[in-house]
Amino acid sequence: MLTKFLDTVRQRITRPLQYYQDICVRCGACIDACHFYVASGNPAHIPAYRMMLVKKLLQRGGNGRKGLLSWYRETDLADERTVSELRQALWECTGCRRCSVFCPFDLDTALLVNMGRYALGQEGMGMEMVAEIGNAEVSKGEIIDALKEFYVDQIRELEGRIREEWGVPDLRIPVDEPARVLYVPVVGEHAIIPLAKIFHAAKESWSLSMFTATNHSFFVGDIEKAKQAAHWIVQEARRLGAQVIAYAECGHATRTLRNFWDHWFGDEIAGIQRVSVVQLVASYLQEGRIRVREGAFDVPMTYHDPCNLGRNAGIFEEPRMMIRAVATDFRELSPNRELNWCCGGGGGLIAEPDMFEVRMKAGRPKVEQIQRTGARWVVTTCENCKTQLADLSDRYGLGVEVRGAVDLIADALVV
Amino acid sequence: MTTLAFLFYYITPYIAVVVFFGGLAYRVYLWWQKRPAPAHLSLFPRPQNRLGRLADALVDMFTLKGLLRVNPLLWAGGFIMHLGLLFVLVGHIRAFTDFYFLWKLLNWGKEQQHAFSAIAGTIAGTLFTIPLFYLLARRLSGAVKWLSVPEDFFVLFLLIGIALTGFHMRLLRTVEVEELHRFFAGLASFRWQPVPESTGPAFIWHFALVQLLMVYFPFGKLSHIAGSVLSKMVARS
Repeated sequence: MLTKFLDTVRQRITRPLQYYQDICVRCGACIDACHFYVASGNPAHIPAYRMMLVKKLLQRGGNGRKGLLSWYRETDLADERTVSELRQALWECTGCRRCSVFCPFDLDTALLVNMGRYALGQEGMGMEMVAEIGNAEVSKGEIIDALKEFYVDQIRELEGRIREEWGVPDLRIPVDEPARVLYVPVVGEHAIIPLAKIFHAAKESWSLSMFTATNHSFFVGDIEKAKQAAHWIVQEARRLGAQVIAYAECGHATRTLRNFWDHWFGDEIAGIQRVSVVQLVASYLQEGRIRVREGAFDVPMTYHDPCNLGRNAGIFEEPRMMIRAVATDFRELSPNRELNWCCGGGGGLIAEPDMFEVRMKAGRPKVEQIQRTGARWVVTTCENCKTQLADLSDRYGLGVEVRGAVDLIADALVV
Repeated sequence: MTTLAFLFYYITPYIAVVVFFGGLAYRVYLWWQKRPAPAHLSLFPRPQNRLGRLADALVDMFTLKGLLRVNPLLWAGGFIMHLGLLFVLVGHIRAFTDFYFLWKLLNWGKEQQHAFSAIAGTIAGTLFTIPLFYLLARRLSGAVKWLSVPEDFFVLFLLIGIALTGFHMRLLRTVEVEELHRFFAGLASFRWQPVPESTGPAFIWHFALVQLLMVYFPFGKLSHIAGSVLSKMVARS
């Protein structure tokens, strides 16, 4: 049992992962950090325990036999219980890295989980649905020429609708046109409409990407495929001569864009600025390129820092600036910023139907946090968070409306 | 002197020192054999420039300010223990040589030096030891017991053993510091001198446990002395 898992882990273990598992002193600072553990009380959810599980299995040695020091190292045999714990430890994690903030050594459990998930996948214990979507994102690039016509037709139709509803007949949604900004949306027109309005108002030279920012291969730890899927966007940006790649309000994609692309693509992306669209819109506001109705929304609202935009990419103040520009009653969650609780929907769990109950449970700390503010709107800047927060609101009867920061700006635009 | 005692006093100390430094170097070498981090593993907010990040990592390493913010009690346990250990180690310089410069500056005689060492040494030892018992109690309670493996108890008991045998010499015996100077300076210069006698039998245990600690140090979780520098840098890369 678990032979393929262990072989894969041995091949893929990187320098930080090696010293993480060697130096973790199991002090337990991470116990209070994990929303999964806080909600479940299951030891397999304690970040340090996740690390221990993998370490113990690795120490078993190649032949699978127990050694002289097994009692000391508590070397685990790959029995049913270990396998079940391992599955929980590696899949029931959102990769939010709140535990890294708590850890006195800043150890990164998400890095272990990411690698471990790929290894579990080799063992046939993966998240099938998420992996499938990831594969589709990779193969989309190969058939993009065939899809283009259909895509452009759909966008023209959407464009017509926005012109009519908004009363702006010269609004355009350029696709596959040379531009300064390449905007990469997520699936669904809700990711395009507000930006079409904002780019129009800012008179930005932009083009809509034919791909999506989401990268499901990343969730299942398949870095080669994740790279391939992102590479289509790199090629598109270079073909169009884009100087800026702006990703939609999407957590994991923004994190990979800002923190992984240097390693993935090196010189190929030199000179191309990579930002979240939230940063771009915030800069329009700051530079006065767009104007909004001050106090446009007289509703108590709060902001949920997505883990991947906040502590994992450093985008804390831009969304707050956007909200303050249009809100009359902005309330901070407590704790917030890098100590914010994860919503419980990240790490690909949203895309896996079997994980629904797991993520509803893991969202409990978030629910209590929102309730304490008394806010009616929860603003956030990540597609995963939006879906999860809406689901949590239904399940726990929060009755809050979930909105994107760029939606607020688009709805309050003065043109 | 029996062969065993000879080996213990004059041979194994060198082995312990070599294993300690060699082992740590080997540990770091093994880490370097692996492929480097696959991405920027940064945590935010972080200082803007490289120098600022290095400074932040060092400050965090020496103060554990990040832990203080999220878990003050554990911070107190961990930080005070390490601080006490640092003071104790500084005090142990007196095993090899003495703070002659300091004594001269303060114009202290034998008596005053001894009184000061007794007070400072006891305080440092206490700062080191009490948190060890807190950390032990923590291991046995709540969710931390899920995380506790034999190594954790081994290391704690080893440190507690070293502390208690040290206290025995500090509080229950009158140790002639010149005897220690002679013995350890002799070891350091390979000109072996007689074993100190004023220390009593606790010295044998103390010396043995410290050698055991040094030999074990690079091979378990105590290698965090080297690894935490790397992990703190990579979290700010």
